[in-house]
Amino acid sequence: MSNQWLNEMRRKMEDHTDDVPEGLWDNIKDDLFSEDDNDKITALPIIGNDLKAKDKNTSKFTSKKLVYRISAVAAVIAMFFIGGKIFDFYNSEEENSPKIASSKKGEPAAHSSENKNLPKRTNDLIDNDLFKENSTSNNITSNKISTKNSFNEILNNHNEILKNGINHSVNQNQNTTTDLINHNNQIAQQENVIVDNNQSINDIKDPISQEEKDFKDKFESIQKQKIAKKQSKKPWMLSLLTGNTSGSSSEQFPGYATISGSPMNVGDMFYASDDGDPFVQVVLANQNKEVEARIRHKVPVTLGVSMYYSLGKKWGIGTGINYTKLSSELRSGSDANLIKSDQSVHYIGVPVQVNYNVIKKGAFTGYVTAGTIVEKAVAGGVTTKYIVNNEVKEEKKEGLEAKPVQFSVNSGVGLQLKIVNKIGIYAEPGIGYHFKDDSSLNTIYKEKPLNFNVKFGIRLLLD
Amino acid sequence: MEESKEQILIKRLHLKEETAWKELFEAYSGNLTYVCSRYIIGQDDVHDVLQNSFIKMFRSIDSFEYRGSGSLRAWITRIVVTESLKYLKQNSDFKIVDDEFEIPDLPEEEPDIQEISQTTIMKMIRTLPDGYRTVFNLFVFEEKSHKEIAGILGIAENSSASQFHRAKAMLGHKIKEYKMSKTAQYE
Repeated sequence: MSNQWLNEMRRKMEDHTDDVPEGLWDNIKDDLFSEDDNDKITALPIIGNDLKAKDKNTSKFTSKKLVYRISAVAAVIAMFFIGGKIFDFYNSEEENSPKIASSKKGEPAAHSSENKNLPKRTNDLIDNDLFKENSTSNNITSNKISTKNSFNEILNNHNEILKNGINHSVNQNQNTTTDLINHNNQIAQQENVIVDNNQSINDIKDPISQEEKDFKDKFESIQKQKIAKKQSKKPWMLSLLTGNTSGSSSEQFPGYATISGSPMNVGDMFYASDDGDPFVQVVLANQNKEVEARIRHKVPVTLGVSMYYSLGKKWGIGTGINYTKLSSELRSGSDANLIKSDQSVHYIGVPVQVNYNVIKKGAFTGYVTAGTIVEKAVAGGVTTKYIVNNEVKEEKKEGLEAKPVQFSVNSGVGLQLKIVNKIGIYAEPGIGYHFKDDSSLNTIYKEKPLNFNVKFGIRLLLD
Repeated sequence: MEESKEQILIKRLHLKEETAWKELFEAYSGNLTYVCSRYIIGQDDVHDVLQNSFIKMFRSIDSFEYRGSGSLRAWITRIVVTESLKYLKQNSDFKIVDDEFEIPDLPEEEPDIQEISQTTIMKMIRTLPDGYRTVFNLFVFEEKSHKEIAGILGIAENSSASQFHRAKAMLGHKIKEYKMSKTAQYE
């Protein structure tokens, strides 16, 4: 058998055509020619503009693709950070302000994701900031005018310089594209300026002629700082933290309570215990004081490994294993004398979910998902501290009695980044509804059946 | 010398005009789909490979040089073949099957393909195992030598030759079967 028939086959097949896959041109067009699509660029302002500036000479196409890649990476990383911050935030409730201050810095990833995911909130923030700015400066004026007339002049000067500064930066913004972030940062810095100035105004008391000089110096140095600190992330982290507090839940009622929410019977405790009982000590110390119990449930964070089986291009089903930690905190008593309980429950769950891929760009997939999760509490415990006069008198640890099974239905939007061939990482904020279980265990699931959650994990893709 | 239509299109492709690329797509996508389907079986996969191929063309059009009539088509076909092979290697169950199939020796007579439609031939090619099909396609349609195929696929040269012979025998067998079923129908 020679190869003659094969040559014939080649000639015969040369002009053969097959049906072109549906929607192919649309996809290609989206990939190659969608730079004109301004909406997409404004949705990703910083990254879009930065890259554009850098990549002006290279082809537009690659920069576009990069934008998606980078924003996807940033968003996923940011989600992890947000998760971390929730814990940090709650763990350090007493020392809130320093913690926030420190976490404001060095959070670039959170920065960009916020920007992408919450453009609306960004605008709100800007509005708020503007409003604050006005009110602070008003405060400054009203407070000081009444006391020191000569100081008015300085203030006017200051306001004028400030106005110029704002105008200047606004003009700059208009010259460049609508760079939301820069705008926001600059406004934030204006706010800093005002706050700082407010401080310096407080410092200024009597020798005005001297103060005027100092003031100017100070203002100048702040302006220099302002230029140097262009990358400050303050407003972003602030919004993250406030955004997440609303996700937690707290109950409050008068008197003492256990973490399950049932009130404690003081009389029983008196009989049952001797003088050394820490609870009695707390109660005694709080005599004639108003006491209240407050239970605070933290936002659940879920980590998971899941398998994803794609049904065609858009749809897919997934399952896997989830781990969820629920933390709750009980404070019962007054500020100095209290009972403090920390409860944590660990759940292992099996989700079954259906995904619909909304957008797919390179390694990044955006999807909406819905499904159910069956979770079982596998471990958990309560640590109770009795604090009298800010001193820990006794610490008790208890294990979890009931280990309930929890059903829930979930829905959310997710972002997935394919790292290697079949493996991707995902972040999935969403809402879930948890059905009641029969146990006495008091968790956020019970307190707020419909709640916000964030899931992170690794996903194995099967075809 | 007046420029041919092809050359004018190429110029516009260089300028990255959307209409030019659409034209290219309209003109060649059917044939390219066929080229790609020779290598790739899954419909979604064909879609993905073609999409990647067009993106690659778009990115590397600057490196394309016109070398006479038909060179544009040759170039884009080459890109589709390269992308298809890349895809096969990445998503692989792609393996070179050896000695898994016992192919009966065929008689010396040449299979006559004149009366078989393009679609039927295509179907037959697509039923060949991945490894056979890839080597067969490269040898017959891309006119590569076994040495070249060995280099492209990272296999030994004689392995390529044996794959090809098996593929050829298998295909010949299929054609023969097809013809017999045809004649059986008419009898």
